[in-house]
Amino acid sequence: MKIEQKKIDEAVQTITGYGGHGILNCVQCGACSAVCPGVKAGFSLLCRNLIRHLLNGELEEIIEDPSSWGCQACNRCTEICPQDVRPQEVVFAFRRYQANEMAFSTSAVTSQMNLYETGHAVFTDARELRKKVGLPAEPPTSAYNEKAQREIQALINSGPMGELGLF
Amino acid sequence: MAKVGVYVCHCGSNIAGVIDVEAVRDFAATLPDVVIARKDLFMCSDSGQEMVKQDVRDGLVDRVVVAACTPRTHEPIFRAAIEKAGLNKYLFEMANIRDQASWVHGHDHEGATEKAKKVVASAVAKARYLESLEDKYVDVTDAALVIGGGIGGISAALELANMGHKTYLVEKQPSIGGVMAQLDKTFPTNDCSACILTPMMVEAYNHPNIETMTYSEVDDVSGYIGNFTVKVRQKQTYVDWAKCTGCGDCATKCPAKTPDEFNAGLSERRAAFIMFPQAVPKKAVIDMAHCLNCAGREIGTIPKVNAKTGKQILAPCEKVCPANAIDRSIAHDPKGAIKEIEVGSIVVATGYKVMEKEWFKEMAPSSPNVITALQLERLISATGPTEGKLLRPSDHQKPKTLTFVSCMGSRDKKFHTYCSRFCCMYMIKQARLLKEKYPDLVINMHFIDVRTAGKDYDEYYTGARNMGINFFKGKVGGLEMLPEDKLRVLAYDMESATNIEYESDLVILATAVELPEDATSLAQKLGLQFCGSKFFRELHPKLGPVETSTEGLFLAGCCQGPKDIPDTVSQAKGAAAAAAVPLAQGKVKIEPIISEVRTEVCSGCGICVPLCPYKAISMREFGGELRAHIEISACKGCGVCTSACPSAAIVLHGYEEDQIFAQIAALTA
Repeated sequence: MKIEQKKIDEAVQTITGYGGHGILNCVQCGACSAVCPGVKAGFSLLCRNLIRHLLNGELEEIIEDPSSWGCQACNRCTEICPQDVRPQEVVFAFRRYQANEMAFSTSAVTSQMNLYETGHAVFTDARELRKKVGLPAEPPTSAYNEKAQREIQALINSGPMGELGLF
Repeated sequence: MAKVGVYVCHCGSNIAGVIDVEAVRDFAATLPDVVIARKDLFMCSDSGQEMVKQDVRDGLVDRVVVAACTPRTHEPIFRAAIEKAGLNKYLFEMANIRDQASWVHGHDHEGATEKAKKVVASAVAKARYLESLEDKYVDVTDAALVIGGGIGGISAALELANMGHKTYLVEKQPSIGGVMAQLDKTFPTNDCSACILTPMMVEAYNHPNIETMTYSEVDDVSGYIGNFTVKVRQKQTYVDWAKCTGCGDCATKCPAKTPDEFNAGLSERRAAFIMFPQAVPKKAVIDMAHCLNCAGREIGTIPKVNAKTGKQILAPCEKVCPANAIDRSIAHDPKGAIKEIEVGSIVVATGYKVMEKEWFKEMAPSSPNVITALQLERLISATGPTEGKLLRPSDHQKPKTLTFVSCMGSRDKKFHTYCSRFCCMYMIKQARLLKEKYPDLVINMHFIDVRTAGKDYDEYYTGARNMGINFFKGKVGGLEMLPEDKLRVLAYDMESATNIEYESDLVILATAVELPEDATSLAQKLGLQFCGSKFFRELHPKLGPVETSTEGLFLAGCCQGPKDIPDTVSQAKGAAAAAAVPLAQGKVKIEPIISEVRTEVCSGCGICVPLCPYKAISMREFGGELRAHIEISACKGCGVCTSACPSAAIVLHGYEEDQIFAQIAALTA
């Protein structure tokens, strides 16, 4: 790896621009990765390692990596971080960068489509199961409410998500 | 008319990197009474000082203004320079354009330059009105006080005593020794801590020039360099130390139990106790907060008499003491006794404490098998609760897997941002001692990074790797309690970028070094300041590491910042040398920048007397009337009396009315 200051600056500016303001606080202690369920599940480019690559200026090199979409936003990293990096915000900033460059992982596209159509990023049809346990088949959520769905779609269409042209 | 010379300093790029020095110089040249305005790369250098001196010798200037770094460090330098050239040294004024302009306005070059001009104008305005003043001298009490009886305090006291100065060594615990007495062995040579410390404790205690006052605390300090009056409170021991032989019989019979501070809470001690086997002095104390007053033997009461035997019913401690040192019939004053001592200088060596594990909620602090490194130190010490055997607290079984966690509360914005400096080394020491003793132990050490700067320190660390101790780069994120008192360690290996999870029997937290709670009240009594890391502030981080902003008051050891034993001893000897200077000189200089009462104007109202924070003002008779009088050796020149006097009868030399008004006029012009 070559050290190219221009690329490092660009990566830092991109991430801070998307809300990862604490990235330069990182001293690479690794406490975030020690508690990250995503890292545990095998998404290696999260928290500490993601920040290291970004601080190496490797923004484009890792753009296709799906790890960031494995973040569950549990914020344990932010809680444990001794340097106020707020690693979860860096991960989300990286996601925003990926999204704006149309570098979605397939799992992310599916969940965005779910959100657009049902109002739930993760959605399973549980009507049969609910009937079996004596509950009304359709819970009172946006998934079964066309008016709510139209409102959600209007919101998505008029925000930055809509500008991506996914829907 | 004054002839003012203005000298503007670049301070390398410290000032010139922000401020347009040339523009400030040009501006200064236009100010009233300024006859010369020069600049230099470093005004404090030999050539810079020579420039000023030559102008004085040539009779060109009779008032000097240097616009430079800060009077805190450099005012004495320039005063000395003009004095050498033959000018009264108080005809000098400093314009602080580094600390108060270039450093704080680094982002605004133009604004900083304008501010520097104003600061210079104000200094020049004052300089025009400066008057010659003369230093005064007072005699010094040839004695020193060392507060804190740890390795730092003992080293400083021995040094002062060996130089021939009477030294008082005050320690709040019943014994001297400090934290070092709690340690098992010391890095990087693995000397037994007690073996090297105990002889020094004994030497200090028996030294003809040292008066050791243990179980004592500083209650009040007044005075100034050369003549401090200190009230030391010897806390109530409830044991006659003149009689106590240190046999410890009272501790064996006392039924009241409380966590033993010396064993970091890992065992219990009695209310009547001797601090530890090698205590110096080896004397018993009754800790009244935990005493049960057996047999109704409240302090100061007459014992009941057994109707059958006719004998007095005594508490076990009294009954067992073979030296008759415990007599609960005496109405001991619970506040103890105050002793007033006079000293010329004071060394503060009050040490540190480590954070308790309870602060770290993610580290399963409720598990008995999560301990601090100081607790491990007691666990492996021959004088500790297990007599040196490594047994984990929950079940007293030997652990198989040990985990060391670094940087708990250090380098952490939630607690302390500083590095506690010696944790890496003591963790490696503990790991090495344990691996030597129990080669089958699995020892995993987790570091953000290993910091082993110091003579023979890195070799000590690489040696530990060779002994089969496992090192991981990556901070531990958490601990989870598992059945059978085991702990799951959630860690991370930086090098392979994978997380680590395993079960451990005993987890040791290297918790941060910080000042004890009572440091704040001591600071208030002594007039000590705190630095950003909440340790006592030294005069200058590089050039005044043992001095403080109060003359005659010096710092040594961890109270000034985390440091290991070699650094503490070095600093203590340095502090002792500095503290001996006024004692050796026999006289100290009183700067004339103090207040003086113009007796003929004073109305004798007495308003100033209670306002003076240094108790320097009293009412005295002058020509049959009571008038205020200021004791020059006690006055610090704070100016409170000057500003409060309704008759404007008090002058603060160096800050006289015309001088201050001239400054204000220049700043608001």
